[in-house]
Amino acid sequence: MSSQRYALFPGCLMPTEQYAYELSLRASLPLLGIDLVDLPGLSCCGEPMKSVNQTLTLYLSARNLALAEQQGLPFYVPCPQCHLSLHETNLILQKNPAMLERINEMLKAEGLHYTGTTRLVHTIDLLYDTIGLDIIKKHVTNPLTGMKLVVHYGCHAIRPKELGRPDDSENPQKVEAILKTLGAEPITHYPQKLDCCGAPLLPNKPETALAKTGQKLQAIQELGASGVVDVCPWCHKMLDSRQTKAGETVAAKLDLPIVYLTQLLGVALGVDKEKLGFTLNLSPVHKLGLRSQP
Amino acid sequence: MTITDLTSMGEPQADARAEINDRLKRLQDHASDYCYQCAKCTSGCEAHKLLELEPHKIVALLKRGLITELVNSDVIWTCMTCMKCRERCPQQVAPIEILFAAKNLAVQSGKELPGKYTAMLQSILGTGLLQEVQTVTTAANATMTRDQLGLPPLSVPSDVAKFQASIMAIAMQKP
Repeated sequence: MSSQRYALFPGCLMPTEQYAYELSLRASLPLLGIDLVDLPGLSCCGEPMKSVNQTLTLYLSARNLALAEQQGLPFYVPCPQCHLSLHETNLILQKNPAMLERINEMLKAEGLHYTGTTRLVHTIDLLYDTIGLDIIKKHVTNPLTGMKLVVHYGCHAIRPKELGRPDDSENPQKVEAILKTLGAEPITHYPQKLDCCGAPLLPNKPETALAKTGQKLQAIQELGASGVVDVCPWCHKMLDSRQTKAGETVAAKLDLPIVYLTQLLGVALGVDKEKLGFTLNLSPVHKLGLRSQP
Repeated sequence: MTITDLTSMGEPQADARAEINDRLKRLQDHASDYCYQCAKCTSGCEAHKLLELEPHKIVALLKRGLITELVNSDVIWTCMTCMKCRERCPQQVAPIEILFAAKNLAVQSGKELPGKYTAMLQSILGTGLLQEVQTVTTAANATMTRDQLGLPPLSVPSDVAKFQASIMAIAMQKP
C-alpha cells in the first residue's frame, strides 16, 4: 500500500481543546497509509466570522488554502465547519475571478498567493472514498462487536448538497458503512438523525444551544442506542463535554457514551486505547469498554 | 407607488435590497425573487422550534425591500446555520445566506456585536485562532495540556503584525 500525503488543517476547536479527535486521527490514519504533514502559519478558517464579515471569512479561508497550495499538498480537514468554509471559498474564487484578484491583493501583505487548486477531504470521505472500505477491512484486528451505535453527522458535513459535501444531505450512510466494516452494528435511521447539535448558537444564545443538544440526546437515549459516533469537534463539544448541562435543560439524566469515529477506528485497527484520548471523553465511554470506570 | 409595511410604516429601500441581492449572487445563482412563500424553510428550521425564527418571513422582507426592519431585528441572530432552509427550498432560495448578509449589514452599520462575537474576533486578531489553547479536565478530574498529551505545537500565523493589518484593512472596507 503506497502512502498518501495530506497537510492537516486543524482549525481552532480541535487543536485548542478537542484533543481526543486530534490524538485519535494522528494515531490511526497512518496505519491506513495516510501520511499527515503539519504546516506552519495556519489560522482560523473564518467560518465563525461569517455573521460578522463574509469578506473576512473568504480571506481567512483563502490564506490557509494558499499555504497548502504552496506545498503542493491536499488538505485533510477534520472539522466539517472548516471543510465547508474552505470548500465554499474555493468555489467562489473559481467562479469569480474579480473576487480572486481582490483576495490575492489582500494576501500580498503576508507574501501569499492563491490560484485555486487546493483539494480537500474530510474524515468521512477520506475513509469511505479515498481509502475505501476494502482496505479498512483488511486492517481491522479488533472488531467492535456488540456496539449498537447511532451516528450524529452534524450539519456542515452534509449540507448544502448543491455545493458538494462529504455525504448525502437527506440520507447519509457512509459513517454507518464504515462502522459496519469496523464490526459494529450501527442503527442506520432515527427520526432526529439530521438535526443540529446547537453549537453555532454558543456565541450568543448558549442556553438555547444546550437545549437543542439536550433534546437530541434525550431522543437518542430513548432509542436504546449504546453510544453516539460523531465527526465534528463542535458537535462533540456539545454532545460529550456539555452532556450533563444539556440534560438539565430537558430535565433528563443523560448517560450516553459519545465517541469520535477516529477513536473507534483506532480501537478496531488495534491502536493502544491510551493513545486514542478516551480519558478526555467526559461522557460515560467506559460503558462501551473503552476505558476503566473513572 | 410602493408597498408600505403597515406595522412599522417602513418604506422599501431599493438600494439596500440591490446590495443584498448582489452579495447573494456572489455566493449562489438564485435570488430571493423566486420565493413563493411555501414556508418549507420554516417547517424544518432548527431555530424556529426554539427561537421563533421564520425564514420565509425573512425572504419576504427582502423581497419587499424592507431592509431596515430586517437589519434591526434581533431575530436575525437566532439562526443556527443548520442550512436545512437552503437545502430544502424548492426554488433554490437560501434564507440562511440572506441572514448572513443582514447580519453583516447590521455590523457594518455600527450595531453592537451580540454575545461572544467580539471576543472571538479579538482572539483571531491576537492569536490567529478563535480561542487560546485550553487546559482540559479528564473524566477522572485530572487536568491535561496539549503538551502533556504529546501533541505538536499549534500552527499559527508566522507574522502576526502583517496578519492583523490585513484583517483590520478588511474590517474598514465595504464587504
